[in-house]
Amino acid sequence: MITLTNLSKIFRTELIETHALREVNLQVNEGEFAALTGPSGSGKSTLLNILGTLESFDSGDYLLDGKSVKGLSDAALSKLRNEKIGFIFQSFNLIKDFSIYDNIELPLRYRGLKASARKQRIEQALELVGLHARRDYLPGQLSGGQQQRVAIARAIAGQPRILLADEPTGNLDSLMARQVMELLEQINQQGCTILMVTHDPDQARRAGRNIQIIDGQLHDATMYDPLAAQSA
Amino acid sequence: MSFYLLCKVLFSRKVVTSLLLLQLAMTLALLLNSVLLAQQTRQQLNQPTGLDLQNILLVQLKPTTATLRVYPALEELLNRQLSAVQAIPGVIAAAYSNQSAILQGGNNGNVYVVEQQERTNVSTVPMYFVSTDFFNVLDSQVLQGELPQYSVSLDAPGAPDVVITQSLAEKLFADVLAAGKHLNRGRVAAVISDFYGQRSGDHVMYNSVQIAPPYSVDWGYSILLRTTPAQTNAVRQQLATVLQNVESNIEIFHIRSLAEQHQRLYRNEYGLAMLLTILSALMLLVTMVSSYSSSHFHAIKRQQEIGIKRALGASKGLILLELLSENWLCTALGAMLGVVLALWLNQALAQVISIPALNWYLPMVTTAVLLLCVTVATWYPAAIATRVSPATATKAL
Amino acid sequence: MEQFIYYLKVSFKGIKRAPLPYALTIFILSVGLGVFFANATFYYQLNSDPLPHKSDKLFFPMALMAPYECNDCKPPSVLSYSNIEKLSQTDIASKAAAMYSADGYLRQSAEQAPLPVSIRITQRDFFSMFDVPILHGSIWPDNSARAEVILTKASAEKLFGRADVVGEKLLLDDRHVTVSAVLDSWQMLPRLYDANNRNHLGDADDIYLPLESGYDMNYLSNSQSQTFDDTDYRQLSTQGRSGAMHQLQYWVQLDTPAQQQAYRQFMHNLVQDEKAAGRHPSEPNNQLVAMRDIVHYFGGESSDIKAFALVTLLFLLVCLFNASHLSLNRYLSNQYEFSLRRALGASRAQLQLQMLADVLLMALFTILGALLTGYAGIKLMNQLLPSNRLFSSWDMPLLLSLLAIAFACSYLVTLYPSLRASFGSLNQQLKE
Repeated sequence: MITLTNLSKIFRTELIETHALREVNLQVNEGEFAALTGPSGSGKSTLLNILGTLESFDSGDYLLDGKSVKGLSDAALSKLRNEKIGFIFQSFNLIKDFSIYDNIELPLRYRGLKASARKQRIEQALELVGLHARRDYLPGQLSGGQQQRVAIARAIAGQPRILLADEPTGNLDSLMARQVMELLEQINQQGCTILMVTHDPDQARRAGRNIQIIDGQLHDATMYDPLAAQSA
Repeated sequence: MSFYLLCKVLFSRKVVTSLLLLQLAMTLALLLNSVLLAQQTRQQLNQPTGLDLQNILLVQLKPTTATLRVYPALEELLNRQLSAVQAIPGVIAAAYSNQSAILQGGNNGNVYVVEQQERTNVSTVPMYFVSTDFFNVLDSQVLQGELPQYSVSLDAPGAPDVVITQSLAEKLFADVLAAGKHLNRGRVAAVISDFYGQRSGDHVMYNSVQIAPPYSVDWGYSILLRTTPAQTNAVRQQLATVLQNVESNIEIFHIRSLAEQHQRLYRNEYGLAMLLTILSALMLLVTMVSSYSSSHFHAIKRQQEIGIKRALGASKGLILLELLSENWLCTALGAMLGVVLALWLNQALAQVISIPALNWYLPMVTTAVLLLCVTVATWYPAAIATRVSPATATKAL
Repeated sequence: MEQFIYYLKVSFKGIKRAPLPYALTIFILSVGLGVFFANATFYYQLNSDPLPHKSDKLFFPMALMAPYECNDCKPPSVLSYSNIEKLSQTDIASKAAAMYSADGYLRQSAEQAPLPVSIRITQRDFFSMFDVPILHGSIWPDNSARAEVILTKASAEKLFGRADVVGEKLLLDDRHVTVSAVLDSWQMLPRLYDANNRNHLGDADDIYLPLESGYDMNYLSNSQSQTFDDTDYRQLSTQGRSGAMHQLQYWVQLDTPAQQQAYRQFMHNLVQDEKAAGRHPSEPNNQLVAMRDIVHYFGGESSDIKAFALVTLLFLLVCLFNASHLSLNRYLSNQYEFSLRRALGASRAQLQLQMLADVLLMALFTILGALLTGYAGIKLMNQLLPSNRLFSSWDMPLLLSLLAIAFACSYLVTLYPSLRASFGSLNQQLKE
């Protein structure tokens, strides 16, 4: 599903070069629930952004579904994100003056779905996150946990193959966090691949696989296995 | 892209949007009326005059001593000046006249068919007292009758024969032959093609001409001359010297081509149309500045939103289109309001100046211009906004 | 004071942080106000009352005393010599003067090059009626013919190089005349006594000649003359005095409502008598128009300036909207800082003082920009509408009101945004 080969990312300023990721190799298979852990500044978020095609990389290659994303145009990358990837952010990132319904609808609109198809998917997603009754609320009128569930609904409404979550419970209390985790597990069970950045060791343990990043290098991870890639 | 969502964005910023809408509407209203006025002036300046404006020169002059202003000294002066002017190479024909063509007002009076005053009276018709070559200078076509060949004094018994223009003949006699009929000014000898007489008259093409030395020259008189196109400028440069050499006791008020005379006649209209055009340009500039700054500002305010949208799969092109559409929608709404406002302004202006009524295609043209200006002004800040890094924007707290 | 200087300093810092939006705001306000100023100048000057203490006491009487039949028409806007003779038969008016203008040539001797002059041919009361200041000499003692002219200071200086030329001899169109007085510099704008054919927009005449002499010397009006019979206008001294040759303006001074009523009655009786005598066939239509209404009566209002006034006012509104829009954006960008200050304990009043400093600074720049734009606009309008060029000067009251308007606009433009910035919810803004 996801194959990174010798992928590096360097941030350059006038004075210094920072190697955010060094020659990273990673293979994530369909249906996996992987946690990405590591200290601040280790490159977790950079890796997640690169996986989400929000950021480019300097060398190596990234194959998504067997196709390299290198050199794809902005329009092609946008289409890829829209159809295959769902995002969940720590700060929810809902659009403030859009209703819950409008927020979830946004990616579906970008995909060009018809109104009836959009409606059906939004209803499904709202049903799943249990916020059907709040569809006309504005994000500001909901609690943090509810907002994050809306964000999850938005991410899965497009039925993506991969869900990228950047500390999805970082801004939530433990009860809320547990609800969100349960939701993610439920989504994973339905076949969606999830990569989640987290600080919380408990959450990391609950994931099926634990990938640790230190100083831009992967540790304790299931290393890239050419045979496994062929069989996938 | 959804119209519904666009409207939602627009109306979530009530104050700013209504300011923008009002401003766009006013700009359109002003733009429309300025264009109307400019169009009208152009039409006035382009209306046919029946005259070869470029190649007819006009000298307006007056003797500075009282003795030269009375007959017979005056007639002798007029003839000396005419023969001197005719001798200038390039002059095809020259004539004196009590007044020039293409004036605001001047020497005029009422004209009617003798014994039918009630029915035929036309109150303000310019009267020209000219030398024989006058029709040659104007290059008039004789449509009826024959032009008189000799100058007759106005003080001689019986009035000199009258030559009238076609429009006046039609007004006075309708379909009946005019030549030979009697007017209060004298017998109609001929009907000639129309030429532009006085703007304040009943009709600019109504004129009556008699071949006779003017009664008096207290208001000055005109020497009109037609030149070959190639030599108009050369003739013009010599005129003052030639006339001064004939008689130095004269004041030359001005030497102009009839084209210049025509422009001066519509100077006020031209000035107002010009001012409104400049003002419209300023308004467009102001609108562009405001479109620019408002989209710049909102793009900054909405960096995070744009970042989220990018993450959710909107391409740069789509974001640009979205931002531009917001402005287009706003402009279109403003334009609709503007047309209403333009109608009002049109009526308000019609109270003080003459301005044509609004037609159907101008609002479309001006709206298109407005849209173009807004697009140009919005493009740069919108394009900058699409470059927002979605990774950074979605991280922002 | 020290505190205020601090506020000004902070304002400057705010400008420096985002100079472009600030410059654009100033630019838009300056352009809007400048264009408005330019037109307001003409509008104000053209509609100003040159004799505010008298303009409701001076009247132009007109009556349909002409040998033509006409129903429902206005009386001729110029009067004949015999009309004036008849209207002068009463002593109801405290002052009265008939007048017209003509062109002539003036020189000291036959050898000199002639100086073209505009002559106002009028009667003795003209000068006291319109408050014309005399520099040297004295005005004609009565209205009879005399070969005496009154010069303006400018024409005296042009001819002689000095102003005190009373008693000097001149040739006016080859006739000998003596200078009886010299006027001090004087310009009545608009020249309401000459509103026929929009002449009130032009310069005052160069010399003055008694009415009777003007008729004797056969001067024809250079602006409007009409003949309603077969009067030969080359015989002004004879036929011109008796025939229906109309070219005169006539002004009477009627100080009290009683006088005005009496004069109206006099006109009514006069016209009735004339009609009974069979001198004119038309139904009477008497007009007694006050000086302050005369331009309107003759339809000589500057419609282009009026039209442009409407448009510039709209433009100013647009610019105000625009500038407030811009400055709202500017304030909203600074909102965080505002809230921070409030969190640090600045009261709303203190913030408002800060706003006032902003307004002052903006007003200063705006006034400068507006004056520049206004000046350029006036120059442009003089080019494009030259007939109004005499009305393009700035005087004190005008300038002061323009400055006040500029300040008010700057204040308005900053008012709403600043209120919005200082009264918003503190909590929400800091969180944003």
